[in-house]
Amino acid sequence: MSSAQIEIQLIASLVAIACAIPGVFLVLRKMALISDAISHSILPGLVIGFFITHDLNSPLLILMGALSGILTVVLVEYIQKTKLVKEDTAIGLVFPAMFSIGVLLIAKNANDVHLDVDAVLLGELAFAPFDRLIVNGIDIGPKSLWIIGTILLITLSLLVAFFKELKVSTFDAGLATSLGFSPIVIHYGLMSIASVTTVGAFDAVGAILVVALMIAPAATAYLLTNDLKIMLVFSVIFGVFSAISGYWLAHWLDASISGSMITMLGFVFFLVYLFAPNRGFISVLYRNKQQQKEVQLLTFLLHLNNHTEENERHINHLNEHINWHKIKAQSIVDLAEKNNMIVINNQIIALTPKGKIFTEKAIDYIITNDDSKIESMKKDFFLFRG
Amino acid sequence: MEIKYAVTVDDLTVAYNYKPVLWDIDLAIPEGVLMAIVGPNGAGKSTLIKSILGIINPIAGSVSIYGKSYDKQRKLVAYVPQKGSVDWDFPTTALDVVKMGTYGSLGWVKRPGKAQKKAALEALEKVGMLAFKNRQISQLSGGQQQRVFLARALAQNASIYFMDEPFQGVDATTEITIINILKELRKAGKTVVVVHHDLQTVPEYFDWVTFLNVKKIATGPVKEIFNDDNLTKTYGINYKVSVQQ
Amino acid sequence: MDLQEYFNLVFTDYTLRTITIGTAILGAICGMLGSFAVLRKQSLLGDAISHASLPGIAIAFLITGTKDTNVLLLGALISGLIGAFWIRGIVKNTHLKTDTALGLILSVFFGFGMLLLTFIQKMPNANQSGLDKFLFGQAATLLIKDVWFMAIVTSICLAVLLLFWKEFKLLLFDADYAKTLGFNIKFIDALITSFIVLAIVLGLQTVGVVLMSAMLLAPAAAARQWTNSLSTMVVLAAIFGLLAGVVGTGISASQSNLSTGPVIVLVAAIFVMFSFIFSPSRGLLFRQIRFLKNRRDLKLHKTLSFMFDLVKTHENKSHPHAVQILNNFQGYTRGTLKKLEEEEYIKVQGKMWSMTEKGYQFSSNLYNQNIENE
Repeated sequence: MSSAQIEIQLIASLVAIACAIPGVFLVLRKMALISDAISHSILPGLVIGFFITHDLNSPLLILMGALSGILTVVLVEYIQKTKLVKEDTAIGLVFPAMFSIGVLLIAKNANDVHLDVDAVLLGELAFAPFDRLIVNGIDIGPKSLWIIGTILLITLSLLVAFFKELKVSTFDAGLATSLGFSPIVIHYGLMSIASVTTVGAFDAVGAILVVALMIAPAATAYLLTNDLKIMLVFSVIFGVFSAISGYWLAHWLDASISGSMITMLGFVFFLVYLFAPNRGFISVLYRNKQQQKEVQLLTFLLHLNNHTEENERHINHLNEHINWHKIKAQSIVDLAEKNNMIVINNQIIALTPKGKIFTEKAIDYIITNDDSKIESMKKDFFLFRG
Repeated sequence: MEIKYAVTVDDLTVAYNYKPVLWDIDLAIPEGVLMAIVGPNGAGKSTLIKSILGIINPIAGSVSIYGKSYDKQRKLVAYVPQKGSVDWDFPTTALDVVKMGTYGSLGWVKRPGKAQKKAALEALEKVGMLAFKNRQISQLSGGQQQRVFLARALAQNASIYFMDEPFQGVDATTEITIINILKELRKAGKTVVVVHHDLQTVPEYFDWVTFLNVKKIATGPVKEIFNDDNLTKTYGINYKVSVQQ
Repeated sequence: MDLQEYFNLVFTDYTLRTITIGTAILGAICGMLGSFAVLRKQSLLGDAISHASLPGIAIAFLITGTKDTNVLLLGALISGLIGAFWIRGIVKNTHLKTDTALGLILSVFFGFGMLLLTFIQKMPNANQSGLDKFLFGQAATLLIKDVWFMAIVTSICLAVLLLFWKEFKLLLFDADYAKTLGFNIKFIDALITSFIVLAIVLGLQTVGVVLMSAMLLAPAAAARQWTNSLSTMVVLAAIFGLLAGVVGTGISASQSNLSTGPVIVLVAAIFVMFSFIFSPSRGLLFRQIRFLKNRRDLKLHKTLSFMFDLVKTHENKSHPHAVQILNNFQGYTRGTLKKLEEEEYIKVQGKMWSMTEKGYQFSSNLYNQNIENE
């Protein structure tokens, strides 16, 4: 590995971490699409900043970009408040307009601006090591490393300093207000961080892909845990993993680094989506099937419990009245019999004492909706054991 | 005399995401009654009428309307959903919404014509909203919106009416208008089922009541079963109403 | 080339005419179907689908090696639909919310698409595959057969729209109710969704994946402000979309270096802004004017009721009172007094005022209304 390669991977990993942290909060606060809007909208700010300074690495660019990101948030919220259109339409109207302005400004001044449309969409991570920061004649590393490093440092220190406030206001805005943290301050603080990070990452990975770096790691982590701290750690791990593996994928395919990073993110999400232990597609599917059976069985037992008349308890009644197909009905009867819940005499079904106790407990649980009651039931009955 | 039942529900069980909402409900609603369904929040009142109407699929049980399946008897049934279930900023007028009540009898593709417009106008007049027929629906008050919904159901010209909280957040005029129409419907021999949550008005407005809390607690004439015992069973706490008979 | 020249050319130049007709049709169909997307609160689904179609274009090229637009658009359609279904799957099967699912799918698919595009660009024999045009759209690449294709799809959509108008309207307003009336809402729903996806795919060549969603939303959002009838809204949105397409193409063609997509989107955005501000019934300007007028009226009415309370205590309604008394009343200014005199509710003589018959009638009405409201 050459030093340039190491530097690229380092920058990519820092970008991934810097994006993953605000991303977690955006996903939890159901504002994932705001990051989409911000990432598109920083473009006109960047271009105007460039016209003023003629230096792509000037801090003014970051400031202008972040300002136009925040302006977008304000504009979206203003349009939502007018109630002229639905909320999501407001987002959908503002950012394409802002992005168009940016693209056109670049196109009209193509000769002056060293930004081209490819750079806007993909960034120029591969060239990042060639733009060095030289202080007093000493080369201290690539400029983008310093920029994103600084942003990450700010994000991290804000995260540590305001972790409690962020946590409370994310999960319970009402409580946050009553504790004296202004949700508005935290909201705009988060928006500002998201904007600044987007601008910093933009250079490396381009406008639209920043969105993936913010949302995908957080969404993946959210499928694995509910704990905010663990979620942050997981997001960072997924981000860094995708950054490094994405780099090598791009190296192998000779394709865009940022595109590969996102592809890896998508791949990781897909795997977790399918196989996550409790929330993955497969386990949800399995559990739904189990629960469906449980509910059906309970319905059946409850029905037996409710009716003393023999005709209601005749085995053929199941398909007539309960409206189940024969096969389904048979499988439920078998299940109940296997668990010694019922006895069948002359095609008339009756609850066993065990079945009766079980049913009564189930009713209790259903009426009170008290989860602690079902805990004791789980021991008696294999279906409830997850 | 044998009672004729407009709606019979057998062993109905409904679960949302496999969480039980209604359990093994047996219910028979006699023809010509004005019935309230009462119960605490989350008792499954709306779910009950939605599954009778086929909006929600039950996991067990069956529903019949005058002895036949709902699919065959659709035209006998009208529905007034909760007011909050639709977007009132939708670009349409009161008359247009009421006309929708006639779409079911028209079937696919056919357009509403003069007869449908006439039916819609009559329904609007009944609820006292004829003057507002061309008003955009967002410019109506909450009570007026509710009356438009009622008019839409009237335009269906059905035998059985299901209403989901029609008295929720309406003004006094609307409440009186609605209850008068309900009583008129009953006089005409129609059956009306209302999800209701103002217990105080039950004896005054209705003649039949069903207590529901996930399971059916009781159903029958208000005079016989609307008592503290059933209320306590339904609401869980020691319930006392000052029933003004 | 300036705009004047351009419009002359539209009528003489074959290519330019093709492009203009193409964008006009595209604008119209987007406006029409966009109205449904906006009313169904699916505004951003369009954004996700259009971004998600990018890898489909690249894969279609990789498999077939063709630059034929229809083949590439078929790829776009398939991958757009996969994206849309996956979004549904995520929302249904996990606890991730719609916004996360949308943002995730749109960015991940787009990133994958960009990976493939850069991969294709660097392939030895595939230089200038021209797939770039799908990013921001190049109306100049529209051929007459593309335009015919668009026209045919648009007519089919229009025919189906007219046929099922009643059902569409019912589903958009109240889907549950539609179900109780016996309509198969899954069928209508699938019809609307597939039309929206179709419109997006049709627009990719002209407007591009990045900005396509705005083409759906903007004309519809603008049209909504001018009417309270669904049919008028759909027609207006089609007209706005058509205009945005034509004007945008005109500007883009008359300048060098301007992709069509961003220009069309900006023109549409200007329509939206204009509609938001100047629509007579909903617009912000008239809303503000009405608000100010109401506030002024309220102030007048308050002063008048204060006066009424005074006058009521006297036998003679037109008994004069000192202007000075009013100073105690908050909200009273010389302006209000003047205004009330202009309306002939009161008479002012020197430092005294008295209520006219008209004023007395008016304020007693106000008084009764107030009591009723309480």
